[in-house]
Amino acid sequence: MDWASDSLKKLEATREERLLQEPPTLSDADADKLLQEFHPDYLGMERNVRVGPNADTCKFPHELADLLESDSHLPQNFEPSVDIETDVLILGGGGAGASAALALEESGLTVHLATKLRLGDSNTVMAEGGIQASLGVDDSSRRHFADAYVGGHGKNDSDLLRVLCENSADTIRWLGKLGCTLDCNEDGTFRLRSGGGTSVPRVLACKDYTGLEIMRVLKDAVLLSNTQTLQEHAAVELLDDGAGQVTGAVLWDRNKGNLVTVSARAVILATGGSGQLRLQGFPTSNHLGATGDGLVLAYRQGCKLLHGESYQYHPSGTAYPEALVGQLVTESIRSTGAQVVNAEGERFIGEMTFRDVLAAAIIREVAEKRGAQTPTHRAGVWLDTPLIDIINGEGTLRRQFPGIVHRFERYQIDPAKQPILIYPTLHYQNGGIQVDRDGCTEAKGLWAAGEVTGGLHGTNRLMGNSLLDITVFGRRAALSAQNDLPPRRPVTLTCLKKSREQFKNISDRREVLSPQLFPTQAGMKVAFELQKAEEPSATGFNSSGPSTYEPPDPFSK
Amino acid sequence: MKTVDIKVAGKPVQAREGETVIHALWAAGMAESVKTGCVGGVCGACTITVRFPDGRPGRTDLACLCTAEEGMEVFPCPVDPVPSVAPQASPNAGKLRTAYPTLDRCTKCGSCTSACPMSIPVMDSVLRMQSDQLSVVAEDFTTCIHCGLCRFVCEDRVQPHNMGMWVRRSIGASLGPLKEAVVAVEPEQVEREWKYLLEGNPTERINHARQFRNSGGIEE
Ligand SMILES: Cc1cc2nc3c(=O)[nH]c(=O)nc-3n(C[C@H](O)[C@H](O)[C@H](O)COP(=O)(O)OP(=O)(O)OC[C@H]3O[C@@H](n4cnc5c(N)ncnc54)[C@H](O)[C@@H]3O)c2cc1C
Ligand code: SF4
Ligand code: SF4
Ligand code: FES
Repeated sequence: MDWASDSLKKLEATREERLLQEPPTLSDADADKLLQEFHPDYLGMERNVRVGPNADTCKFPHELADLLESDSHLPQNFEPSVDIETDVLILGGGGAGASAALALEESGLTVHLATKLRLGDSNTVMAEGGIQASLGVDDSSRRHFADAYVGGHGKNDSDLLRVLCENSADTIRWLGKLGCTLDCNEDGTFRLRSGGGTSVPRVLACKDYTGLEIMRVLKDAVLLSNTQTLQEHAAVELLDDGAGQVTGAVLWDRNKGNLVTVSARAVILATGGSGQLRLQGFPTSNHLGATGDGLVLAYRQGCKLLHGESYQYHPSGTAYPEALVGQLVTESIRSTGAQVVNAEGERFIGEMTFRDVLAAAIIREVAEKRGAQTPTHRAGVWLDTPLIDIINGEGTLRRQFPGIVHRFERYQIDPAKQPILIYPTLHYQNGGIQVDRDGCTEAKGLWAAGEVTGGLHGTNRLMGNSLLDITVFGRRAALSAQNDLPPRRPVTLTCLKKSREQFKNISDRREVLSPQLFPTQAGMKVAFELQKAEEPSATGFNSSGPSTYEPPDPFSK
Repeated sequence: MKTVDIKVAGKPVQAREGETVIHALWAAGMAESVKTGCVGGVCGACTITVRFPDGRPGRTDLACLCTAEEGMEVFPCPVDPVPSVAPQASPNAGKLRTAYPTLDRCTKCGSCTSACPMSIPVMDSVLRMQSDQLSVVAEDFTTCIHCGLCRFVCEDRVQPHNMGMWVRRSIGASLGPLKEAVVAVEPEQVEREWKYLLEGNPTERINHARQFRNSGGIEE
């Protein structure tokens, strides 16, 4: 890293002094000003959508607005005819979807879980830092609530947030029963760390692989359960009965290349976030499938989206080496002592302030030329990781953050010896589909849980509240669907047809199709034949519902 | 920017120096040739094998972490998952043997360890499974991303990663309720605190929440 040697010298020169320094503080008013001037959410890169339930009432980032106004991948002449009949169809194989499936294990219902990639390929598996639960001595569900509420700028849905906070201990126990191992202290209590915006240590973790630990256990449990999994099946449209009830989905089987129509009495949408839309050209920490599909699907069914303009840019995305650009460096590394330092070797903000404020501060430093420039024309500020071992003893970083070490070692960077260059990365979709405390959306027959929903976190999420969100609300949505299971109704594309009528009135629409399914950068093709595959569907489930099987006309492109 | 020429599944691909195989494939319009999930080295979807022109030994790797080098040959190596066995309470080597009878087939060839992209000492850990050191095994597999490469290369059909998962889940589930430092609070006080946080206009609520964060209680 010769290109950085000047700047690194400055950083090392101030290290000793910084060690004893109190972090710089910022008044609430100054924090607001910083957000207004530098946070990407506040730069006016949004516009109104002109169709659907949020038409002309609230703004969305251009990239998302375009998708909400786009036509479906389904050909105009596609008519659904049922291939699979099930009770509950879960869409999305991340933490929320898997939790929902496991909650239905004892229900006696037939459950299908369809997911675009493989089961577990998700944002969940990537989570590093941890999961919040108010298990500390000075802690309570109320204090947890207060932290998240202030962090979310008071825009949170209090009802949802209260449910989240009151269920944290129970959820940790549930994960424990499934065999998740979270780090403990010597006395057998959970090790609790601080996270940005927590007023007491409240974050439980499994090293810096918390999402991996949770996801691989959930995945193993789902594969051992009665849930029928349809992997590499992407939802391309929701079906409805023509009278306001969601009744299933059309899936694209990516391997066989055909469409599969599923009739369900309840659909649970757990398709996660949209970091791969890469708003304003930001890099992202998200997995390949995070393209906001669920937002588009639910929107066509008349479900309102909340805080659609609000995204979280994680302050510590990697800015160097190029191969790791956008990838996350967990926040816990800051709570363990790593300071954020500009190219002049100066601290410019408290490391444990709220994420949006810290991200804005880093963007300001770079904009005002106090960042370090990489040979690949990126810029960032330093995360002084060597401090961790200096403060906590040699070997701490390697022991507590093996993931970071493993990733950087490949590029001859040892974070215990050398700081890491960071710049904000598009990380989390704060907003999403409006739901109630049981995950019910505004459309009958449709539930939603996890990152695809909005309201819970207000306009800024605290670290560790999302893993809690998916395990609490994934299960709640499933139980609610089980208790209020509507009767089976016919599958039609009435809502899509209505949306198509509305699209006609917009002349300057971008000619893209949605849901987008994959990042534009990946150049992946969405192609399917309308010819039914010869064998029966993957699960061999027989259809005998109100809509009987009728092979559609062969379709040629 | 400098470019390098590599081959993926026999097809020539031009990559920017320093870029990962996955990103090179995206730019070349060949994204579908390697399965991709997280693009961050933790889901295990993008398994490949790599050969180098300069005689360095070839290896298995993850395409989302592997950077392109001049002359490198990449072969997609998708690994299908194999069914696992449900965890059991109070695990020991005997129970593990019943769950996975191939445990003792290991011939100590070491292929699994060389194949593991997470640098897990897989073979050593299999030996530890045989000798009932299960808590060390659980620790060994902490960073396992279930890519399945260790099983894929094992000619003796040992399934180290599934056994590692079985051990971790079995131990995790047997720990029982962990000690929680929860302090009992009177239900009336709990209700009072909720009321304090939930009632009033938006300004009052955010101010109350701000105050509550300072002490964890209502400040009169
Ligand atoms: C790098 C990183 C680190 C994080 N760290 C933390 C942390 O430390 N603590 C914390 O609390 N949170 C963290 N988060 C956030 C948290 O991991 C996610 O918000 C949460 O896991 C989302 O879970 P989910 O189930 O809603 O979505 P996901 O886990 O993303 O799952 C969505 C699933 O739906 C699938 N899908 C998408 N579209 C379709 C479609 N059209 N049809 C079928 N399937 C589809 C996806 O492929 C995926 O499998 C982190 C996130 C990232 C990216
Ligand atoms: S590859 Fe198979 S036989 Fe060889 S050491 Fe590993 S487990 Fe044993
Ligand atoms: S132990 Fe096996 S499955 Fe786990 S990461 Fe290593 S090679 Fe992959
Ligand atoms: S894509 Fe997940 S490990 Fe490479």
